Amino acid sequence: MNQTLETTQAQRDAVTDADVTLIVGLEVHVQLDTQSKLFCNCSTAYGADANTQTCPVCTGMPGTLPVINQRALKLAIKTGLALNCKIANYTKWDRKNYFYPDLPKGYQISQFDKPICGEGHLTISDAKGAFETRDIQIERAHLEEDAGKSIHDETGAQKPSKIDLNRTGTPLLEIVTKPDLRSAEEAKAFLTELKLILTYIDVSDCNMQEGSLRCDANVNLHIKVDGEKIATPIAEVKNLNSFRAAERAIGYEAERQLRVWKKDGLGIADAPKQTRGWDDANQKTTKSREKEDAADYRYFPDPDLIAVETTDEEINAIGSTIEYLPSKLRTELMESYGLEAYDTEVIVSQGIGVVTYYKTVADFLTKSASGSKSPGKTASNWVAQEVLRYLNEQNCAIGDYPISGDQLGELLARIAKGDFDQTRGKDVLAQMLENRADLEAAIEKLGIKAVDSGEVEALCQQIIDENQGVIEQIKGGKVQAVGSLIGKAKKLNPNINPNLVKETILKQIGI
Amino acid sequence: MSNLAQNVAKLARIDLPDDKAEAVQEDLEKVLKYVQQLEALELPEDIEPFFGAIESVNAIRTDEAQPSYPREEILSNAPDSDGQFYKVPSVFEQS
Repeated sequence: MNQTLETTQAQRDAVTDADVTLIVGLEVHVQLDTQSKLFCNCSTAYGADANTQTCPVCTGMPGTLPVINQRALKLAIKTGLALNCKIANYTKWDRKNYFYPDLPKGYQISQFDKPICGEGHLTISDAKGAFETRDIQIERAHLEEDAGKSIHDETGAQKPSKIDLNRTGTPLLEIVTKPDLRSAEEAKAFLTELKLILTYIDVSDCNMQEGSLRCDANVNLHIKVDGEKIATPIAEVKNLNSFRAAERAIGYEAERQLRVWKKDGLGIADAPKQTRGWDDANQKTTKSREKEDAADYRYFPDPDLIAVETTDEEINAIGSTIEYLPSKLRTELMESYGLEAYDTEVIVSQGIGVVTYYKTVADFLTKSASGSKSPGKTASNWVAQEVLRYLNEQNCAIGDYPISGDQLGELLARIAKGDFDQTRGKDVLAQMLENRADLEAAIEKLGIKAVDSGEVEALCQQIIDENQGVIEQIKGGKVQAVGSLIGKAKKLNPNINPNLVKETILKQIGI
Repeated sequence: MSNLAQNVAKLARIDLPDDKAEAVQEDLEKVLKYVQQLEALELPEDIEPFFGAIESVNAIRTDEAQPSYPREEILSNAPDSDGQFYKVPSVFEQS
C-alpha cells in the first residue's frame, strides 16, 4: 500500500472497475436477551414509558456501583463459541469517555484491551453461487452497555432535545469483523448468517425494528494505479437498521468513493475517517453532523468493576448448551437427507422449528416402506411449498401449524404407495387444514378409496373404446397424447391413479 | 504538551478562560511528570501485565429484573425535565 502516492488526473481517469477492490469491515451490536440491564437490576423490556426503567446506577449517580450480569456474560461467551472465537479466561472493563446527553455518566462501560471474545470466524456462502464460500475473520467481540435514546428537535428551531434513559445500560455484544468483506452482497450474507446463528443459539431476539441488531460499516477502496495500490479515506456508515440498508449503503459508498477520488485524488493519509449516515428515503449516504475532531475516548480501566475470570471447564459447559448451528444442520440435510444446497437453505433459514418438522416428515416417509424413491426431496418440496406457504399466509410459526410432521409424513407415504396422486394429496392436505381433520377423516370426506385393478382396467377399456382417434395417434408414435386420456379418466373417477391409467392404457393397446 | 489544559477542557466540555489556562497547564504538567517517574522503572521481560490494583475477581449478580426507581424521583435530579423526559439544550449547534 502506498500511503502518499500522488496521482495525475490522467492516471485516475484511466482507472477501470477491474482496478478497484471494495474493502468492508462490519461492527454489529447485538442486544443480548436478558431480563435486566448489564450492571443493574432495571428491566430491559422494550416499549415502556420514558424513564420508567432507570435507577441511580444506570443514570450514573455518584457513589453507585455497577455489578456485572451473569447471564449477559454467558450469552456473550455462547455467541463467541458459535463464532469460533477464542474466549478469554480473563476479561475486564474499561471506560470509554465521551460527552453526549444520552450518556449520563459521561463514559460508556465497555471493553478495550481484554475483550471477552477474541479472534474467530464466520463462514459465508451463497446457495446460488453468487460468490465463493469463504471464512470472514472476526477480530473480537466485547460486552458493553447501551446508551439512552435522544429525541431531537427536527424543526431547526433549536428546541431542547428530549432524553429517555430506559435503554441506558442494556447489554450489547459488539462483534467486529476484520476488513474481509469484498462486496455489498458478501456483507449482506455475513449479516444474514450472523442473525441466523444468533437466532439458533437463542442469545438475542434480533429484532431490528426494536434495535436489537444494529450495524455500522467501515468502507473504503483499494485502487491499483500503475502497479501501485492506493487506499481511499475510510467512511464509517452508522446505524444501518436493515440488511437491505447495509447492502445499499455499501454499494453506494463504493460508487461515491470512486467518483470523489477520481476528482480529488485524496488518499487515506490525506483525509480523516468520515462518519456518514444512510438516508433511506433518498438512497444515499450523507456526512454526519458530528464534529470532525479525531475521536479521543481516553480509555482506562473502570475502577468500579473488577475482572472476570472464566475457567476452560466453565467455557466448555456454556459451549455444551449450543444445541444447533445452521452450518451443521446444512451438512446434515445434504448428507443424510440428500438435499441440494438451495433446498437446504430454504429449510435451514426458517429456524430450528421448521428443520425439526422437516426431519420428522422425511424420517416418517423414509421408514414407511412406501417405496418413495427420494423421501428427503419429497418432504422438502412439501414443507417448502405447502407448509411454508400456509405459515406465510396465516402469519404464524411452525408450532402453530395444525398438522403434525408424522401426519404429513403419512400423507406422503400414501401418495408414494399409489393410493392417490399428488394433486389429490394436496386436496387431502387442504381438507385436513380446513376442517382440522386427521388424515383418515380427510380421505374419507373426499370419498377417496383405493381403486381396485379390475375397476382401473374396465375404466381404461371404456376410454380406449370412446377415443379411437387419440389411440391411433398414440399408436402412430405420439405417446404424449395419452395425457388427454388421463384427464378423461380423472373426470370419470377423481381417485384413480394417473400413472396407473397411463400404464394400463398403453398395455391394453399393446405399446 | 502546549495545549494540554485546553484540550482536556474541551474534551470535558469545561469552559477554561485564558487567564486560568496557564496555571492549570502548569499543574497538569507537574502531575504528569510525577506519574512519569514510573517509566524509569526497569521491569523484567517476563512480567505479566497488570490490569488493576484489586486482586479479587468475579463480582457477579444473577439476571433478575427488579422494580426501577419512580420516574418522578429520578427526574428530580435533572436540571430540566417535562415530567417524562430529560430536557437538554439542542445537541446540534447553529450551523
